[in-house]
Amino acid sequence: MSGLTLRLKAPATERINLDGITPAKLASLSTYEIAWLNVGIEKNGLAIGDAFDISGSPSETLTIEGSGATLDFVGGGLDGGTIRVVGNVGAYTGRKMSGGKLEVRGNAGNFLASGMTGGTIHILENAGDNAGGFMPGDRFGMLGGVAVVGGNIGARAGEKMRRGTIIVKGKTGENTGTRMIGGTIWAEGGIGPLPGLMMRRGTLIGPSVDSLLPTFVDCGKHDLVIMRIMSRYFKSTLGDLAPKPMPLFVQKIGGDTAAIGRGEILLPAS
Amino acid sequence: MSKTVNGVSIDDTFAEAFGMTGTGIIITADSMKWARIAATVATGFGTSVIGAGAECGIDRELSPDETPDGRPGVRILMFGFSPDALVPQIRNRIGQCVLTSPGSACYSGLKAPQSIGLGKGPRFFGDGYQTAKRLGQSRYWRVPVMDGEFVIEEETGVTTDAVGGGNMLILGNDRAGLLETAEAAVEAIAKIDDVITPFPGGIVRSGSKVGAKYSGMFASTNNAFCPTLRGTVKSELGPDTLAVLEIVIDGLTSKAVADAMHAGLKAVTDTGAKRGVTRITAGNYGGKLGQHHYHLKDLI
Repeated sequence: MSGLTLRLKAPATERINLDGITPAKLASLSTYEIAWLNVGIEKNGLAIGDAFDISGSPSETLTIEGSGATLDFVGGGLDGGTIRVVGNVGAYTGRKMSGGKLEVRGNAGNFLASGMTGGTIHILENAGDNAGGFMPGDRFGMLGGVAVVGGNIGARAGEKMRRGTIIVKGKTGENTGTRMIGGTIWAEGGIGPLPGLMMRRGTLIGPSVDSLLPTFVDCGKHDLVIMRIMSRYFKSTLGDLAPKPMPLFVQKIGGDTAAIGRGEILLPAS
Repeated sequence: MSKTVNGVSIDDTFAEAFGMTGTGIIITADSMKWARIAATVATGFGTSVIGAGAECGIDRELSPDETPDGRPGVRILMFGFSPDALVPQIRNRIGQCVLTSPGSACYSGLKAPQSIGLGKGPRFFGDGYQTAKRLGQSRYWRVPVMDGEFVIEEETGVTTDAVGGGNMLILGNDRAGLLETAEAAVEAIAKIDDVITPFPGGIVRSGSKVGAKYSGMFASTNNAFCPTLRGTVKSELGPDTLAVLEIVIDGLTSKAVADAMHAGLKAVTDTGAKRGVTRITAGNYGGKLGQHHYHLKDLI
């Protein structure tokens, strides 16, 4: 594979912070300088060269091999180019990513796509809790871009999410869309229990929902033009990763009426 | 030196056109019938920028594959003096004519570096119940209405490289035949993308000159081309001319206007002579006012 490759020398004994390790940043550095970049979180630090074997030369693509759940902030700050990861990644994957593409051939930990504003993330397997959610100190969760998760995601996905899209091939956990302000979560395997707690706006789409909060209300069956637009847009931009279009008529569940109630859960009309 | 093509004399002159601001808007609906209705109403009273505020027309019909929502659609074009001048035209025409049309939706119909508000005004009809969905670089407003939702994109592209006022004057000795020929020219022009012919049916029977004897009139009848005044004024018409019809063309690019004029001229010369068309000329101001000159002999 062309470009720079970082191969983990041995299973990490401490957490590794790859925030800001992007193709654009590495392209301006020599291999020697790259090897001395600090990716440790402990007092003595940890140089990339001590944790990874470095091969290839910097280009638009960065490959990380042999990774594990201790690699945090993979793709953090990514603004262009491509990062491919073979293996699992830890928390905060794609944190504040603004462009480019991040592909993880494994699982991702908590807070996937937190603060993300643009670009595309593709996790081939599962993701943890708070995908697209916010971190303490943030005003919002996910703010743009698209994250596609091949498996399931955990609880509270999209907490305080304002824009962007999360597509889940599997199912979401409980309290999806808690305090959601905007954006879309499309779960092809179904929406977990009690979604949309204090949701203001935004859209949750799925074939079913496990259970609803009492503050969500049935708005009837509708042929929504916006569903056609979304289906066509995702097909054109994501290709095979796009979710399968919903039936022409969807059941709109509006809420959370305990907040301003402009959010919606869209299910196939029965 | 004029030349003759298929029995139609073509003056050695040019059409003088002006730089304008143009935008494109896609209108969709549940059926082509209703997309066409909304587009026709939205472009109504869009003949001359001086009197109507904007020059508007239907560019072409779009198949479901060509629209953002997969429904039949129509692309309309609007032209004005400046982007700022187009803002109220878009707001009023879309708000009054498309928002109100059953099943309609409205999208950007021009990709350009500069953009202009499309749904920025009409969205407020939602009275706070409107919501937005951002997909890529586009933001779509969903305005609740009585038949569901009116979806409108927030912005559309705008270009200041557009051209307004490409024209040709068709002269003949048979009024009915002249009109049939002009219709054929408009049909040929309609096949060219990025252009409109904003007047009724694409044809003008009241060509104008700049100014008038009355104060407050910016334009008045082009007496030099009025056949009933021949002999009493300095006329441009020969003794055999019974009527004159003009086709005005606006386009998003100068090339589109030139292509449209070529198509129109060809249609007139192909069949005009047997319908009584004798001559083609063009309107200009001596070349001093408009930046774009389209010489008829170069286009035929």
